[in-house]
Amino acid sequence: MAITAPGQQLNLNESPCWGSRSVDCFEKLEQIGEGTYGQVYMAREIKTGEIVALKKIRMDNEREGFPITAIREIKILKKLHHENVIKLKEIVTSPGPEKDEQGRPDGNKYKGGIYMVFEYMDHDLTGLADRPGMRFSVPQIKCYMRQLLTGLHYCHVNQVLHRDIKGSNLLIDNEGNLKLADFGLARSFSNDHNANLTNRVITLWYRPPELLLGTTKYGPAVDMWSVGCIFAELLHGKPIFPGKDEPEQLNKIFELCGAPDEVNWPGVSKIPWYNNFKNKANEETSKGGFQTLMTSVPFALLFLPLLFSAFLNSLFCVSFDRHALELLERMLTLDPSQRISAKDALDAEYFWTDPLPCDPKSLPKYESSHEFQTKKKRQQQRQHDENAKRQKLQHPQQHGRLPPIQQSGQAHPQMRSGPNPPMHNSQPPVAAGPSHHYGKPRGPAGRAPPYGSSGMTGAPRGGGSSGYGVGAPNYPQGAPYGSSGAGRGSNMMGGNRNQQYGWQQ
Amino acid sequence: MAANFWTSSHYKQLLDPEEVDVLQPLDKDKGVTLEDFKLIKMHMANYICKLAHHVKVRQRVVATAVTYMRRVYTRKSMSEYDPRLVAPTCLYLAAKAEESTVQARLLVFYIKKFYADEKYRYEIKDILEMEMKILEALNYYLVVFHPYRSLSQLLQDAGINDINMIQFSWGLVNDTCKMDLILIHPPHLIALACIYIASVHKDKDITAWFEELRVDMNVVKNISMEILDFYEGQRLITDDRFNTAFSKLALKP
Repeated sequence: MAITAPGQQLNLNESPCWGSRSVDCFEKLEQIGEGTYGQVYMAREIKTGEIVALKKIRMDNEREGFPITAIREIKILKKLHHENVIKLKEIVTSPGPEKDEQGRPDGNKYKGGIYMVFEYMDHDLTGLADRPGMRFSVPQIKCYMRQLLTGLHYCHVNQVLHRDIKGSNLLIDNEGNLKLADFGLARSFSNDHNANLTNRVITLWYRPPELLLGTTKYGPAVDMWSVGCIFAELLHGKPIFPGKDEPEQLNKIFELCGAPDEVNWPGVSKIPWYNNFKNKANEETSKGGFQTLMTSVPFALLFLPLLFSAFLNSLFCVSFDRHALELLERMLTLDPSQRISAKDALDAEYFWTDPLPCDPKSLPKYESSHEFQTKKKRQQQRQHDENAKRQKLQHPQQHGRLPPIQQSGQAHPQMRSGPNPPMHNSQPPVAAGPSHHYGKPRGPAGRAPPYGSSGMTGAPRGGGSSGYGVGAPNYPQGAPYGSSGAGRGSNMMGGNRNQQYGWQQ
Repeated sequence: MAANFWTSSHYKQLLDPEEVDVLQPLDKDKGVTLEDFKLIKMHMANYICKLAHHVKVRQRVVATAVTYMRRVYTRKSMSEYDPRLVAPTCLYLAAKAEESTVQARLLVFYIKKFYADEKYRYEIKDILEMEMKILEALNYYLVVFHPYRSLSQLLQDAGINDINMIQFSWGLVNDTCKMDLILIHPPHLIALACIYIASVHKDKDITAWFEELRVDMNVVKNISMEILDFYEGQRLITDDRFNTAFSKLALKP
């Protein structure tokens, strides 16, 4: 972690024994991500040839100097040293005034000229999962989940909340190692949970109910909810709570987990926005929606665990792993104080029964895949396809050249929504390009979930609530991974017929 | 805040007293003595305390800011890094790092309000620019452990609940930021030295408790002596002494 520890290489030009090196020590290769506070590049260190990721810290628009998010991230990353946490190698600055895009010299020497240097990782979980034809085996899912929990447990022991756990922030290298990245929203917490923290954190789809209800006192359980969402997503093949705004997000959660009350979540009625939600829920009940009715009728709650399991069973359409279900249920527990901790999750039966988590090194190696680039390529592809479509209107049988696994996706058009539906039919199974998430997603399309309530417009939508309701009666048979991920590009998991890595293994 | 001091950058960067008492060549050339150097740092620690009082931040932020300032001057000269700008900037940065952000314009406002002296006047852009230089000088190591946490734990462990004694040792710990102790010693030893002085001063015999601790009492006693020497020396310091020292730097015209 030391930047200029004795014995390490010296600066390129001058060699101060203290201070940061110049970004000129690196050769930028290509952009692999776009974050809220800057771009991410893949780069090569000139002297050693080592490949790294450079995350630029955006300094423009900063009235208050060096961004506090960057301060948090640096402070936290300098403190954390773990094989499942991304390693901040050093910080480099750009010497002298930089020019902006229009070529005007920049007045402030440091404006836009600071980069965090990270170890390079080939994939992020979302990018990897989105690869056409990609499907994870059970030992592989267990392997990733265990690494995710191990890294997160380490953070929590060190009193750090990540606050933005999602697939694109989980980086994976070709040795099968998974590392937590993007600590731009992370912060330290004290064990008494007495400090008031903002509830505007965590990407909407992975945000726990207590934050959606407006609590400002919370702890590590918020990250565990996100882990539960990731886990379900790995099993299910697509995001399980793709809400488009906060109310819808809550509804999706309550449809699956039941509505909270003082019985299943003591203290919930004291959470700031609980009553807003409750009134709304009652209104909807009067409209007579069956699912909302189920969730707001108290006695239904008595059968909740049962409903939940039944729901999941039907959702995943297989007689699946009871241990996986048990663990998932304990992660997606409404009451944060009853939600399983990372440590206890690691002790869960799931990780200790056959098939055991595999050795990361035994996992297949893939061409690099980062969400950012996958998305870009997809956009290009879509444009290309649309052009092709216009030209070939008289040749409707263009699907003929697609592999058979695409067919299962087409049988359920109602599941397909989102900003870019055509691509399901038209995208040939080209290798997904890299895409990366050292930073946060920004693209207009793709499956980047909306961040705060401000990010709702144009946000990708999930498959509508029809597939998510209790009992999920109309969920397609035999498509456990869901081949129609919203805004996810081609059906990432393919159908399950040609499964190479069946999860029943 | 961090869980473990012994694995922290703070621990790895502890210095020997000889390394702290080093004058940068630029300052030395101007005739600044080691005494002057220490005096200016102490004065700047006071300046940070006063500013912090106006912008209302926690004592922790003050302690972190002073530590940043002291770390900066183990590597940078006062001639190049004007203490009158470094001090408020360290407070600005520490406030961010300790999650009690203070707006730069607020700092500038209070500096103008309470310091008639032109030489203390700096604008927002100066602070923001110096912030980057300080981050670089600190090598982006922003984590600081303070004696406060150890102090309350140790006081509890020693079974001391006499409010006078507690307040007295807290006061001592507050004053340690006027010395370079935090760069040299682990924070729990500084806390112990303060408890030791307080126990002697308040006639509380806790020798038995000290003996049971697995710490090198010689180090604790040395720190205690250093603190006492500091208080002794305090009396001789006048504003004139400080002004003379500062004028040697011949900074802002």
